[in-house]
Amino acid sequence: MINLLDPFKIAFGSLLSNKLRSLLTTLGVIIGVAAVITLVSMGEGAKSYILGQIGSWGMGANSLVIQPGTGDATIPELTLTYDDAVVLRQKIRHLQYLMPEFVGRGRCIYGKKSYIPSYTMGASADYPLAYKQKAVEGRFFSEADDASRRRVVVIGKTIVNKLFGSYSPIGEKITINGIGFTVIGVLEEKGTLLTNDMDDIALIPGSLSETVLGTNKIWEIFITVEKDDQVAQAIDDIEKILTARHHRVDFHTHTQQGMIDIINNILNAMTGIVSAIAAISLLVGGIGIMNIMLVAVTERTREIGIRKSIGAKQRDIFLQFVFESVLITMSGALIGIIIGTLAAWLIMHFLKMEAVIAWGAAYSACLVAFLVGTFFGVYPAVRASRLDPVEALRYEA
Amino acid sequence: MTRDGSKLSGSSATGAQVVVRIRDVKRIYHLGKVEVRALQGINLIVEKGEFLSIMGPSGCGKSTLMHIIGCLDRPSSGHISIDEVDVDELDDNRLADIRNRKVGFVFQTFNLLPKLNAIENVELPLIYAGAGFEERRKKASELLNVVGLNDRMYHRPSELSGGQSQRVAIARALANDPSLILADEPTGNLDSKSGEEIIHLFEELNNRGITLIIVTHDKDIAGHSKRIVRLKDGLVLSDEKIK
Repeated sequence: MINLLDPFKIAFGSLLSNKLRSLLTTLGVIIGVAAVITLVSMGEGAKSYILGQIGSWGMGANSLVIQPGTGDATIPELTLTYDDAVVLRQKIRHLQYLMPEFVGRGRCIYGKKSYIPSYTMGASADYPLAYKQKAVEGRFFSEADDASRRRVVVIGKTIVNKLFGSYSPIGEKITINGIGFTVIGVLEEKGTLLTNDMDDIALIPGSLSETVLGTNKIWEIFITVEKDDQVAQAIDDIEKILTARHHRVDFHTHTQQGMIDIINNILNAMTGIVSAIAAISLLVGGIGIMNIMLVAVTERTREIGIRKSIGAKQRDIFLQFVFESVLITMSGALIGIIIGTLAAWLIMHFLKMEAVIAWGAAYSACLVAFLVGTFFGVYPAVRASRLDPVEALRYEA
Repeated sequence: MTRDGSKLSGSSATGAQVVVRIRDVKRIYHLGKVEVRALQGINLIVEKGEFLSIMGPSGCGKSTLMHIIGCLDRPSSGHISIDEVDVDELDDNRLADIRNRKVGFVFQTFNLLPKLNAIENVELPLIYAGAGFEERRKKASELLNVVGLNDRMYHRPSELSGGQSQRVAIARALANDPSLILADEPTGNLDSKSGEEIIHLFEELNNRGITLIIVTHDKDIAGHSKRIVRLKDGLVLSDEKIK
């Protein structure tokens, strides 16, 4: 049986006795691996941030969106109506939440103060669950409120600040486009998504949209089903129901999976480019390692002669030098992984996102470093193992 | 039994076991276009327990002969056997095995590995023989005891005197209980006192039955051995038993 532990120890010992050179030799590998790990960790972090944002709006893989038009016009004809939403709610199988958006303009007046929010929207009672934004003060309106066209409104923090300042708005009367409403709830703060203030919103029952906003047309309907794998079936139902009602296909659906796929594609492309750069860096690093190993073989000719004179076989010398080269690259890869992870963590910390440790990239870096070390270590090791013992013993460094 | 010399296999004329049998060995080098006839037909038999000196002026072929006996080099023609194994027919790996198990080298310049301490240097041949850690530590420390260095086991060669270094080298040569010890000018780099001590150590080892071949040009050193073989121009000039 070949004893691998001893050549390993010998290789490790000779690396330790030459720390600075070992470090410099493997610098190329360290930089290459660190760059990959940093970028992949940041990419993974950004991905999980984006997916987290989508998830925080309720848009998981069990969700889909129906939009009016066929999806190729910039400004679509608004073909979906309140009645469509009512029928869909009755007929889609495994429906969990259904949230139609009737978006319009509404002037809100409280006493002498007047304000037009970015969004005044007709919604369904599913809004808090579908969009994961509950009422933190008061309550959201119920299905019964919607069905009975009760004039109640739930408002976002921005509107509260504009109209009520620090007073609680619950129970206060306001008018929207001249129609009297009672404020029954304040929405949980969402902050800003891209540049949109998501708290500058007033929500009224969808059944009142036509009366208040002058439209019963829907911008989009957000739907979730109970399980991810029921999305396809739901799309099928929607297509049958709406085509039957409209006698044509004047709507289209998006799934969140599609969006997730796009993000994944972008990140995968980025990872690909980074890996290509890293491959070049590792190649250059590998050549550097081969160069140093060749120098080491010459420098240690006498050591090789001594080892051979006391019985080292070609295989022993070969393994010693290959292990050295593999160890040096693997150490470089490990150092690179540590530096890369720390760098990613630091950068993401400043961007206020969380870095995700790129385990996959780390494993591949180790594997590639192993292969590079082996490949570029073989030639110097073969040279070392074939030295003539008499000549090697005579060699004066 | 077709080859010359093989009919003598088993024992010499005196009946003792033969350790080295050399039959008409020639060694020719090519240094550029110049042909160097280092050995021109050497015949030599060394029996177990002998203490032999090989002497001669520089360029007489003693180093070449030593390399061939030590299986570091092969003859251009002729035959050599160690413990009745025809080593001139072996491949590189088998030769490495013979060097490891049958021959112990002691060099003029000690040839210890500078980055290993004394005990690790002594362990090296045991590593290549495949011994486990416990076994080789035990054996190496016993051997350092034999050469009187039990208090220097963890010193590196740079922390040892020349005489101490050569003792470590001798302990290393003994590691795998070889059939013979080959020493090339073992006192050449030592002061006379340390040289004297090393020679006494050799005598002591020989008294324990270890076969020794020393290459030297120093008459005093050779005087401690039991047999002197003189070489000149790659041939045996004289071969005399002195004890």
